[in-house]
Amino acid sequence: MTLPAPTGTTPPPASDGPADEPAAAAGAPPPARFTPPTRHTARWAALGVLVVAAGLIAVLATRPPATVAEVQSPLVGHLAPPVRGVTVDGRAFALPRAPGTYVVVNFFASWCVPCQEEGPELVKFAFEHDRPGDPQLVSVVFDDSTADARTYQATLGATWPTLADPRGTTALTFGVRAPPSTFLVAPDGRVVAYIIAPVTASDLDTLIAQARASGA
Amino acid sequence: MTRRHFPLWTLLGVVLVVALLAGGGAFSSSPPTEAQRVAAIESKIRCPSCEDLTVAVSSAPTAVTVRATVSHLVAQGQSDQQVEDYLVSRYGSAIVLDPPTSGWSLLVWVLPLVGGLVAVAVLVAVLVRRRRGDVDLDADVRGTQVDPEVVEERRRFLTQSLADADAEYLAGDLSDADYLALRQRDLGRLAALGPAPGVPSRGAPSGGAPSGGAPSGGVPGGGVPGGTPRAPAGAVGTTTLTVPDAPASASGVAASATAADPAVESAGTLRARRARNRWFLIGAVACFVVALIVAVPVFTSRRLPGQTATGSIQLSPSQQVTRTLDQAATAENEGQLGLAAQLYQSVLSGHPDNEAALAQLGWLEYQIGRSGSSSSLITQARADLARAALLVPDDYAVHLYQGTILFEQDGNAPAAVDQYRQFLADAPPAAVRSQAAATVRAAFTQAGEPVPAGVPTA
Amino acid sequence: MNGTLGHTGVLLGFVASLVGMAVLVVGLVRHRPGQLRSGRLYAPLILLGGVVAVFAMQRALITHDFSLTYVADNNSRSTPLLYSITGMWSALAGSILLWGVILGGYATAMVWRFRARAADELVAWATLVMYAVAAFFFGLMLGPADPFTRVTGRVLADGLGPNVLLQDNPLVLFHPPLLYLGLVGFTLPFAFAVASLVTGRLDDDWQGETRRWTLFAWTFLTVGIVLGAWWSYQVLGWGGFWAWDPVENASLLPWLVGTAYLHSVMVQQRRGLLRVWNLSLVIATFSLTILGTFLTRSGVIQSVHAFSTSSIGPLLLGFFGLVLAVGVGLIAWRGDRLRSPGGIDSPVSREGAFLANNLLFVLFAFVVLLGTVFPLLYEALHSGAQVAVGAPYFNRLVIPLGLALLFLMAVAPALPWRKSSTEVLRGRLAVPAALGVLAVVVCVLSGIHGIEPLLAFGLGAFAAASAGRALVLSVRGAWRTARAAGQPPVRAALAGWRGLVGRANGGMVVHIGVVLIAVGLAASTAFGQRGTVVLARGKTGSFAGHTVEFVGTRIVRTPSHLSQEALLRVDGGAVFTPAISQFGTGTQAVGTPAIDSSLTSDVYLTINRIPDQGAAWTFGVVVQPLVMWLWIGGALVVVGSVLSAVPGRRRRPTDPVSAPVGAAAPPTEPDPSDPVPVVTGPVVTGPVVPERQPVGAGDAP
Repeated sequence: MTLPAPTGTTPPPASDGPADEPAAAAGAPPPARFTPPTRHTARWAALGVLVVAAGLIAVLATRPPATVAEVQSPLVGHLAPPVRGVTVDGRAFALPRAPGTYVVVNFFASWCVPCQEEGPELVKFAFEHDRPGDPQLVSVVFDDSTADARTYQATLGATWPTLADPRGTTALTFGVRAPPSTFLVAPDGRVVAYIIAPVTASDLDTLIAQARASGA
Repeated sequence: MTRRHFPLWTLLGVVLVVALLAGGGAFSSSPPTEAQRVAAIESKIRCPSCEDLTVAVSSAPTAVTVRATVSHLVAQGQSDQQVEDYLVSRYGSAIVLDPPTSGWSLLVWVLPLVGGLVAVAVLVAVLVRRRRGDVDLDADVRGTQVDPEVVEERRRFLTQSLADADAEYLAGDLSDADYLALRQRDLGRLAALGPAPGVPSRGAPSGGAPSGGAPSGGVPGGGVPGGTPRAPAGAVGTTTLTVPDAPASASGVAASATAADPAVESAGTLRARRARNRWFLIGAVACFVVALIVAVPVFTSRRLPGQTATGSIQLSPSQQVTRTLDQAATAENEGQLGLAAQLYQSVLSGHPDNEAALAQLGWLEYQIGRSGSSSSLITQARADLARAALLVPDDYAVHLYQGTILFEQDGNAPAAVDQYRQFLADAPPAAVRSQAAATVRAAFTQAGEPVPAGVPTA
Repeated sequence: MNGTLGHTGVLLGFVASLVGMAVLVVGLVRHRPGQLRSGRLYAPLILLGGVVAVFAMQRALITHDFSLTYVADNNSRSTPLLYSITGMWSALAGSILLWGVILGGYATAMVWRFRARAADELVAWATLVMYAVAAFFFGLMLGPADPFTRVTGRVLADGLGPNVLLQDNPLVLFHPPLLYLGLVGFTLPFAFAVASLVTGRLDDDWQGETRRWTLFAWTFLTVGIVLGAWWSYQVLGWGGFWAWDPVENASLLPWLVGTAYLHSVMVQQRRGLLRVWNLSLVIATFSLTILGTFLTRSGVIQSVHAFSTSSIGPLLLGFFGLVLAVGVGLIAWRGDRLRSPGGIDSPVSREGAFLANNLLFVLFAFVVLLGTVFPLLYEALHSGAQVAVGAPYFNRLVIPLGLALLFLMAVAPALPWRKSSTEVLRGRLAVPAALGVLAVVVCVLSGIHGIEPLLAFGLGAFAAASAGRALVLSVRGAWRTARAAGQPPVRAALAGWRGLVGRANGGMVVHIGVVLIAVGLAASTAFGQRGTVVLARGKTGSFAGHTVEFVGTRIVRTPSHLSQEALLRVDGGAVFTPAISQFGTGTQAVGTPAIDSSLTSDVYLTINRIPDQGAAWTFGVVVQPLVMWLWIGGALVVVGSVLSAVPGRRRRPTDPVSAPVGAAAPPTEPDPSDPVPVVTGPVVTGPVVPERQPVGAGDAP
């Protein structure tokens, strides 16, 4: 919206009386132009909002998707909680079974679709490490009935022990939120790694090699 | 009128404050019980396998486990913070849904507070600045060349504003003093804007501002783009109404803009004083509201940290008894006989003649005594049931229990049959009848009596 | 065939919007009214493209055409017809399709309504903005959110079926379309706001149009949110209806800002003030709908309601940035020049109350937005650590704001415009305030504790009484007018309905609905009780004053699912059947609750655990009072909105009018004034306006 320039046909400016007119017409400097003193409130407020919004967009743009975000477990670096109880076949079980070996503790459920992707990889891992002193594998049932878990493991062809956890206490002590969750426990009992996604046999081998190299 | 209403409003205020204090629990503050602490912690911890639910509301198995752990730890004597820390040590800091008030996460608490202060500041700024005199509308335009569009817009706004004020005054929304003040102010501003461009200039602008202002300002209806029927009415109405307060004639309104300065002065100071009083009232109300807004979260957080909805219904004694009986019945159904017995005994300690509790307790004692082979308990059971029978002779449950004890424990079929007859005569509900059918039948058969018609077949 | 047809429809919509934009740009730059008029032909084309695509998708879903990836992922042979139809919006790509077709509908409605003014620059700019938004959404469907991609490799014989939570309640047919009608509807006011800023014209009639469209969209958004809460309540199984989930918050944010706008626009229409503020609110509302779309579809925040992630996130974020840059940038450029010259005369006036109302709503929205995105902010500031923000935070901050809003809701209808005298205010608020205090006293005496529920009940009674008073006066005014017009008594009495329609009166009905919602919220959250009952078959348990009898069990088998149901008799009355259902094979079982609703309380039953052998079953019981008031209140809000859209009586010349700023002509859309009460001020004698008489509220056109 542009303000029209004053032309000669505009009505005479408001004045106190006729006295000013002659002065104005008599060669005095042209009267100052009156534009309403604009407060730039809107402009400053808008710019402020833009700055804040830019910051927000920058933050949102750099976030990884929540499903693959690194979720740190507070257990990493600390002693692993005890893994004790009864297996799905009814036998007693407690870690450590063979001292001085790495243990992979895997939480799963029969209704969990990524666990079904992970299963064959675990079978492969167990097959490759079946000699004494090799890393061991333990599965723990998460939020599932013992019968369903037993059937699932049997169908998978699991050769390693599967711990039943009917009250969910093992899952709580490990801080497991959703299956599949895998913990790597070093021979001295400390947790060295935590994976919240389906693992592959080579992932596990890499992790163990790294842990060995760093002296765990 | 103000005087008369004053006691009413004070009374309302006092009643309200007392009621709120009483209801808010200021008169009965006790340290939170264990159950309340557990509930408070549970309402802060997130259910591990859910997205936004707390363990207090979720029925997921992980939530059940966490709840059990929390109860266990609290019963062991750990403090609220210790329980939280333990869970954080397992699940990480994102398991607590209430962000901590330390470190970067303090921001999430501070920013809304800052936002609130900004909002109050904006409110004050907009309202106070306007009251100190509109910078725009009061800008001195004399001696400058004015942009016609700007002036025209203001003129339209002011004339419309005057017309609205007239109508609101007629409708009784504005008091006399307020109406006059608004009219004074806006007419003055109109006059300061100069003559309307469409108005034929009566020769040279003689008479200066006031007469120049008269045609446009004195007749608010004339400037209103609304048609003529309104103009005379508006003017007439206005003139009539200004009679009481100012020495006015048809042009009196314009005249008062420049003449009658003393009148403006005194009216002005009166207005200013009233405005100040009103401003104090606003300030007081605003402080009260802010205090309330701050006090409510503090109030509630002191009682039960983490739980903001702290309402509860306080039960009357009879309601409490009923509730305890319900809890006991549920415990019985879940198989927790010991707990149920405890609850019944707690009812009886306060109400020794509560027949329902007595009867159920007797039956429980019998069951526990039988499974534990404790003859003293069974004797106690008999005594309790006998007392219950005295208290309420026609309770079907008492007769059923007594009959069953006589039949199963003593093997006394005829006495049992007596009791069962009374049981059937007391009109038991169908569900109970079918549950007891087998035993009743057996008793009657053993006693050699025909089974009555009311007993359903197994 | 379906895929091709669908792609054709999407392409048609996209190209039509692009060409429409080009035509309008040329017309605007070269000042050719003829081109501007021809620009409106493209909106029906966009709609047509959307409809063709929807037709193709529905056909594919209903005929189980698994050659399309979308159908294979969201449909199966055993899916019932209803859930096949709703499958269209069960997943991300289909929801964008729904958005696009609704946007096409709104664009068509707009060009049709303004067809006489198509050569107007302002209309042309608004249409241009609509086409731009449509181009974005249809463009999304050509790229990352393509609903018609074909399956690579072998076409399977059966699909995966929809998400289990989306196929056990028919509300899925209503909630998403109604919600989108609301969210997408805010595009129109935004288009007008941008057009106003660009052309510098803030004519009052355009503001009237903007207000009307915003009310329309707001009504649908309210319905969508309430239905969403009801649906969550009936399906999710935890007994609550609002969990401050990011997706729920995403729909709440535009609603809050939209409500603020609907109030402050009244100040603009009445006094000509707050023009630039209103434009900002409209721009903010639309921006928040886009931000909400981003949050629910980008996957940066986990939510039980969220769609699956895809690469659509960055594009939506970019669009959000663009919308903000354009809208806020225009305000920065033009805003100061368009300010209104007047000011608020007194803080104790309706303008002051509406200003306070706006600030509270904006603060509310700020708190919700901050809480929703704060975990992301925190992670960015303090990498590696995480923090969660949930219900405890939101409740603590939002409850005081809500109580303050209730107070304003009570006081504002009694406040006159411009300035209020204490006598007037006292006279109007005495009875409602007394009723409010009475409500608190009654609650305390009946044993209710807790300061927040008490305040909510007291302020709610105050607000409801204040709104009721306004309605009563308005109806009485309508009677009086009818009788004065000489109508027979019966007809005059029936003419009281006029006291219930019109903007002010509809608004009072909406306020009463909001009070019901607030009271229901306060009661159900403060006095709800949760517990479990372990019952063997035939046993009865009790909890919180209700008895539950486990009558029996039942197995229900349908082609799509297998349910184990428990038959529970509540309070010796009706039998309810909570269930655990398995949809398809290999998926997790889903619990379905059963609810015994009544006006006083809801008993919410779920099956928590079925034992392996026939022992006792564990049932969850949640007893919450006054839940039904929430749904009744929501319905009343919608009824009030509809009532407010019905025009009231013709404006009388003496009624206070809108202050038309910047318009030489009287407003073409005369708006109803606020309730003008019975005259309590000085009685006017003498030669007064002959037509003047105490008129009721809603007395306007």
